Amino acid sequence: MQTNDIQVNENQSEVQNDEQKERVAHIDFKMVTFSLSGKDYGVDIMNVKEIAKAGKFTYVPNAAPYLRGVYNLRGDIIPIVDLRVFFHLPAERKQNDALENMLILRLEDHVFGIIVDHIDKVVGIASTSIQPPHPIFGDINIKYIRGVVENQSRLYIILDVLRIFAQKEEEKPRVMSETPSGAYYRTTSLSAQSAEQEKSYPDTASGSEMEFIKETLFAIKRFSATEINEDWMARRFEEWKKIRAKGDLQLKNAEEADEYLSDFYSPYSDKFWGDEYAEAIQAYLPDFPSKNINVWNPGCGKGYETFSFACILQRRYPESRIKIWANDSDLLAISSAPNLFFDIETVPEYCREFLVQGRNGYSFNQLIKDSVLFEYHDIQNANPFPELDIVLARDILSFLAPVEQARVFGDFSEKLKASGIIFLGRNETLRGEDWKSVGQDPVSAYMRNDQ
Amino acid sequence: MRVEYINPFVEAAFNVLKEVLNADVRRGELYLKSTTMPVLGVAALVGLAGDVEGRVLFDMSKQTALDVASAMNGETLSSLDELGKATITELANMITAQAVTKLHDLGFKFDLTPPALFTGDNMEVSDHEVEALIVPMEVPQGKIEINVAVRERA
Amino acid sequence: MKTKQDFPSINERDPDGKKPDGGSYRVLVVDDSMFVAKQIGQILTSEGYEVAATAADGEIGVEKYKELFPNIDLVTMDITMPKMDGITALEHIINFDKNAKVVMISALGKQDLVKKSLLLGAKNYIVKPLDRKKVLERISQVLAKG
Repeated sequence: MQTNDIQVNENQSEVQNDEQKERVAHIDFKMVTFSLSGKDYGVDIMNVKEIAKAGKFTYVPNAAPYLRGVYNLRGDIIPIVDLRVFFHLPAERKQNDALENMLILRLEDHVFGIIVDHIDKVVGIASTSIQPPHPIFGDINIKYIRGVVENQSRLYIILDVLRIFAQKEEEKPRVMSETPSGAYYRTTSLSAQSAEQEKSYPDTASGSEMEFIKETLFAIKRFSATEINEDWMARRFEEWKKIRAKGDLQLKNAEEADEYLSDFYSPYSDKFWGDEYAEAIQAYLPDFPSKNINVWNPGCGKGYETFSFACILQRRYPESRIKIWANDSDLLAISSAPNLFFDIETVPEYCREFLVQGRNGYSFNQLIKDSVLFEYHDIQNANPFPELDIVLARDILSFLAPVEQARVFGDFSEKLKASGIIFLGRNETLRGEDWKSVGQDPVSAYMRNDQ
Repeated sequence: MRVEYINPFVEAAFNVLKEVLNADVRRGELYLKSTTMPVLGVAALVGLAGDVEGRVLFDMSKQTALDVASAMNGETLSSLDELGKATITELANMITAQAVTKLHDLGFKFDLTPPALFTGDNMEVSDHEVEALIVPMEVPQGKIEINVAVRERA
Repeated sequence: MKTKQDFPSINERDPDGKKPDGGSYRVLVVDDSMFVAKQIGQILTSEGYEVAATAADGEIGVEKYKELFPNIDLVTMDITMPKMDGITALEHIINFDKNAKVVMISALGKQDLVKKSLLLGAKNYIVKPLDRKKVLERISQVLAKG
C-alpha cells in the first residue's frame, strides 16, 4: 500500500480573468479532486484523512454490492465503498490484486474509504462560487451532490460525503439479509431518534418526557427503546405517570432507571427457571425434522438459563442430539458456567434427573454438559454459528444499541432454519408479517410466517 | 472462545514468562477484539489444530522483542537478528505448548504447528474477521499482547 | 544464561561431561530453534560435555547420527520440527542403533507424547523452559546407566 501526502497545488499564478482574480482572493474551500467515469468530482479536504493505493480488501459477505470490503489501515479496519458501484457508474474492474485509488475519509468518529478512478489534485476555491446542484450536471443521485463549481475550465461535482456515509450505514442491515424479515429491521436500523421522528410524535409535554426517559434508559442502562419493546414502553410510561403523579417523571439516577425497568425483565432472569415456566416454554417447542437440534443462546450470563433450557430440551427431544452455543461478553459471569455446583434444593424438579453428586455438591451430568458450549464472545463481532433450530435470546436485543439490535436480529433471522423458533424476552415483540407469534405471556416466541 | 480454553492460556503465559524472564509479570484485563491483526511491531504466530482451528499470536513492539530476547539469552542483542528472532519464536512456542498441554489434561485435543515470526516489513494482512481473545501481559521489557483466535472444528 | 562459573560447588573438579578416560561425552543436539540449540549447547559445554553436532530437523538429525556413529554418546531431540518430527527421528535412530541414548526435549508435556517416546526407546523426557540443573541431572542419569 502506498500512502501519499496530499500535495497542495495552488495555481494562483494561472488566473485567467478579473472575475477569477476576485474569487481566488477569497479561497475558503479546498477540495481533493478525482475522477469517476471521466467526470470530475471533489470532496471537502477537511473530510479527507489521506490518500492511499491498495489492492487487497477483505471481502465482507452479505454486504451491499458497493461495499468492496474492509481494509486494514495500520491496524484500523475500515469499510471501503466503491464509489463507482455506489453511483451505478461503469467501472473498470481491475485484476484482483491490482491497486485501486482510494481516498480515506473521516467524518467525526467514522473513517471509511472510497475507491475512485483517478485522484487528481487539491483545488482551492471560493465557497461563494459553488453552485447548487442541478440534475443536469451529474449521472448520480442529486442528494449526494453538495454543489458544483467550475475551476480552470473544469467542472467539479462536489460530493456530500456525510450523505454517502449515512446511506451506507442505513442500508447495511437491510441488504445484509435477503429474507423477508428485511421489513422488520429496516425500521429499527434507523437510530432511535429518527425512528421517533418518523412516527411523528404528538408535540406534547408527554411526548418529550417519554423521549428523555428513553435517552436516560439508554445512557444509564444501555436499554434501547425501539419497536421491539414499544408496547411495553408505552404501557410502562402510563404506569410510571401514575406512580410519579406527585413528582418528577424523569429518571435521575441508576436506582430510578432500575425501578423503571424492573417491570421489563423476563421471569427467572439469571436463575433456574421455575417448574411452571419451564413447562410453559416446553409447550411451545415444535417438532423438528432433524435429529440434530442447534440452539444459540446469546447473553447466557452465569448459565442458569442455559442449563434450564438444556434440561427442557432433553426431556422434549429425548432422541435428538442437542447442541447449545451459549455465549456472553461478561467474562466473570460466564467463566463459572461450565462448572457450576448446586445444593439440590435450589434445583427445580425437571432438572434433577440430570444431576450427579460430587464432592462439591451437585452438578450436571455429562450428557447435559456435553450439550452446551459456553463461550466468552461478543455478539457484536462476527457470529460463526451454524444453521439454527432455536434462538434463545431473552432480554438481549433490548440492551443493544438500535443499529446493533438490527444487525444481531439480522443474524438470528439469517441463521434460523425455516422451521425454527425464536424465544425473546417477555416484553419483547416482533411486528410485521414475517413472523408469527406462537407463544403467550410470559413466553414470547416467534416462528417464520410462511403464509 | 470456549470458556475452558481461557485459563490454560493465561496460566501458561504467566508461568513461562515468569520463568524465562525471572521477573515480575502482571496480567492485564482480558477482552475481545473483532479482528486479529497484530499491531505493535513484532508478531510471533503459532498455529493451532486438532479439536479446534486457529492460532495464537504474540504481539509486541520491536524494542520489547529485542529486550526480551536479550534477557533470555543473558546478553544484550543489538538488533533482532536470527538469534533474537529464534528466541522470540521459542518463547511463543513454549507458552502455546504449555497451554496445549494443560488443555490436553482437561480433555481437549489441541495440536500446534511450528511458530513463525513477522515484523513490520513482512506483516501479513489477515483475511479473516475472527474474534480474538486478548491477554495483555506486562513484563519489565514492555507489553506483550497474547491474541488467541480459535474456533471449534465443526 | 548461567554458566558453570555460577555454580562453583557443582562438579568443579569432576564435571559430568568428562568421561573417566578424560575425553568428553559427545552429544548430538537436534532442534530447529537456534535459540534452544544454543541454550542446550551452553548448558552442556559448561559441564564439560562436547556438542558433536547440531541438526535443525529430524531428517538431518538421523543422518548425522548415522554419520558420526559410534561416536555419539547422547542425543537431545526436540519434538516439533519441520520435515521430520522428533518422534519419527527417534524411531529411525533406535532402528539404526538399538543402544542409542536419546533424551526428548520439548515444550509439550502431553502425557501421551511422553509415553509414546519412552515406549519407542527414548531414555528420558525434559519439558521446556529448560532448567539447567534438571537438564544436567537427567543427562548424567541417562549416561550413567551405561
